[in-house]
Amino acid sequence: MSLKPKRVEFDKIWPDVLKTIQGVITCGPVERQTWNERFSDVYKLCTALPEPQGDRLYTDTKAFLENHVKTLHAQVCASGHDVLSAYYRHWQNYSRGAGYLNQLYGYLNTTFIKKQKFSDADLNYGGFSVDNTDHMLEIGELALDIWRKHMIDPQKSTLTTLLLSDISADRQGHLVMESVVKGVVSSLVDVENYKKKQAMQLYEEMFENPFLRETGEYYRSEASRLKADCTCSEYMEKVLQRIDTENMRCTKFVHPTTIHKVNQECQQRMVADHLGFLHGETLEMVQKEKHKDLANMYKLLHPLHQGLSRLLECVEEHIRCTGLDAVNNLKQESLPSQFVEAVLEVHSHFSELIRKDFNNDQQFVGALDKACAAVINHKPAIKGPCKSPELLARYCDLLLKKSSKVVSESELDDRLARCITVFKYLDDKDIFQRFYARMLAKRLIYSLSQSMDAEEAMINKLKQACGYEFTNKLHRMFTDMSVSNDHNTGFQQHLQKQKIDLDISFSVMVLQAGAWPISGSQIFPFNIPQELEKTVRTFDSYYSGKFSGRKLTWLHNYCHGELKFNYLKRPYIVNVASYLMGILLTFNSSPTQSFTELASATGLPERELLRHLSSLCETKIIQAEDEVSESSVFTLNMNYSNKRTKFRINVAMSQRDTPQDVENTHSAVDDDRKMFVQAAIVRIMKARKVLKHNMLIQEVITQSTHRFHPNISMIKKCIETLIDKQYLERAPACPEEYSYVA
Amino acid sequence: MAEEMDVDREADKETSSKPEKMFTLKKWNLVAMWSWDVECDTCAICRVQVMDACLRCQSENKQDDCVVVWGDCNHSFHNCCMSLWVKQNNRCPLCQQEWVVQRIGK
Repeated sequence: MSLKPKRVEFDKIWPDVLKTIQGVITCGPVERQTWNERFSDVYKLCTALPEPQGDRLYTDTKAFLENHVKTLHAQVCASGHDVLSAYYRHWQNYSRGAGYLNQLYGYLNTTFIKKQKFSDADLNYGGFSVDNTDHMLEIGELALDIWRKHMIDPQKSTLTTLLLSDISADRQGHLVMESVVKGVVSSLVDVENYKKKQAMQLYEEMFENPFLRETGEYYRSEASRLKADCTCSEYMEKVLQRIDTENMRCTKFVHPTTIHKVNQECQQRMVADHLGFLHGETLEMVQKEKHKDLANMYKLLHPLHQGLSRLLECVEEHIRCTGLDAVNNLKQESLPSQFVEAVLEVHSHFSELIRKDFNNDQQFVGALDKACAAVINHKPAIKGPCKSPELLARYCDLLLKKSSKVVSESELDDRLARCITVFKYLDDKDIFQRFYARMLAKRLIYSLSQSMDAEEAMINKLKQACGYEFTNKLHRMFTDMSVSNDHNTGFQQHLQKQKIDLDISFSVMVLQAGAWPISGSQIFPFNIPQELEKTVRTFDSYYSGKFSGRKLTWLHNYCHGELKFNYLKRPYIVNVASYLMGILLTFNSSPTQSFTELASATGLPERELLRHLSSLCETKIIQAEDEVSESSVFTLNMNYSNKRTKFRINVAMSQRDTPQDVENTHSAVDDDRKMFVQAAIVRIMKARKVLKHNMLIQEVITQSTHRFHPNISMIKKCIETLIDKQYLERAPACPEEYSYVA
Repeated sequence: MAEEMDVDREADKETSSKPEKMFTLKKWNLVAMWSWDVECDTCAICRVQVMDACLRCQSENKQDDCVVVWGDCNHSFHNCCMSLWVKQNNRCPLCQQEWVVQRIGK
């Protein structure tokens, strides 16, 4: 066919068109041939000479559709009580037909109507009112619009009532034509769907709002009915069921946007309106740890804004009480492991509960953290330090020592990891660090560690938890050990090169002062036995050849050696500390020695010498005539015997912790804290140059909380100290401010 | 085990033919602590122990680099404290002699 515009008469073509569109709108049979002809008829009419006939085509089609829908409406009204099915049947047909019709009028739509339609920009910015009904619509849209006007509008309230009563019948458990209800509801959406603005308005007005009202009403009475004859636990169970089935029902019937609103409505009516009822039972459920009820309560309350606060409070309080109970009722023996295990038990018990019942909700994990921190940092006495850091450090010591009963490496690793769980809750992490460092020092010096790998792994875990600075000293202790190994091999090579023979097997550990929690004050004057002088001298010269500006102090209370006893029936190899070695070697000159002779030979202070001699007498290696005193004379016991040929002599108190040690540790922590705070102040002031007093205090607190909680007066003192040392000065203009002195 | 011990005893008999001391030293494990060889434990400039890093180095986490310096006058300070000091005044803060570096610790 030719596309050239032709002179056509409308009245001649229209009857054919009318016949076809009748077929199309009712989805009757239409031949392909006829369809094509009609399509070109539309074209012809729109391009007709001398005047295009599009206008007329549009109005006549509109009139036809109006008539058609009015007829359908009459049929629906006549269908008696099955209005919904009739409506739905016609709608299915009509909406499909309208779609086809839209295609048939494709040319009219694109050329004739598009021009007169508002563009998106017009709608958004042009200020035209949307319900301006005068403008032309595409034929498909026109068909829908007519359906709304002549089918829906006249029976709005009937439709609404019928829909609602069907849904409420469904709630009662009666059988309902699901596809009909769903179809009718979605027709309310589809019929206006083409609109660019307020497309959902009809749906909301006609269905959603009344439906939500009705739902709310229904569940309000449902809730009070349930409350009347159920316990709280049953009530929650039932409500969850109701909400679930209502959700199912919604997906069956209504538009997806409504589901959420219905859900909210249900929650409001059945949960939020009855919070008091639920809260009344919360405490008891938490205390008795009724898992099912707690899980239900969580499910019900967590969608509500702030709904969980009461439950959270109860859970936190319960964990705190349980924890404190567990920690306060420990027996004194093996306190460290009991304490840590009790805390971990509580922690894992409630982690599990939170995981199972509360879906691992972060708010509850937070409550657990708060409660655990309160338990662990609880001070039994108002004054006096919290024991937890020390206990935890001792527990780690037990795990890492050789005597520990833990066998497999993975189990050890597991337990150390759990120590970190407790560690993270500690407020006074620095106190822990002090104790840990002291025990680590002992393990390293006396080589008591079960495994160096485990030691290093633990230090790395602490570093991960608290940062490099925190474990700095521990790392330095650790590196000192490997540096010492290097020294030992280096020294042996040195001896070979210099052809020096020392007669004894010798090993050395060189520790860095300051890094180790050992102070020189514990060292007594002591004359190094003659047999060792050469060794010491040689090592000294070797060491000063390697480094400059360093001096070595011998820590005799940490040294030990092996002596061979030659004068007895059997040779004994005895492991002794340096002081005892000095005393015993003195007997080489004569088997009988007086106290004064020993004192001048060893150089030990009298009190210490006395302590060591009493220990030796107890072992029966030497004998005194009577009670050990400054005037005693000591003789070697030539008949000494021991079941073992290799053994060790310990001097009482040499390795045990005294209460004084613990006190020293605490005061050392105080010094550390001052240094830490001062360093923090310098760091902050260097960055800020000038800062107000309050701001400075605030920043210092922020920087220290990961180690300990500094008190304000200490920070003030530190600021004073730094002003004295001329790191800072008070700003001359404003006494509230400090400025940094470069 | 028993056999080994017998062997030990025989070996001992051989050596005991010579006059022998009652105790002989077989093995010694020494523990020593090193520190800077200084007259005064505290750095007079920053008033921190010389074995610890000065506060500036502590705040910058450079503890390992904070070594000690000795002047000709044998006074000693943190090397970094002293290098800041000499920019203002090339004299030892303790004895006012002209500052000449004698050695730097390592």
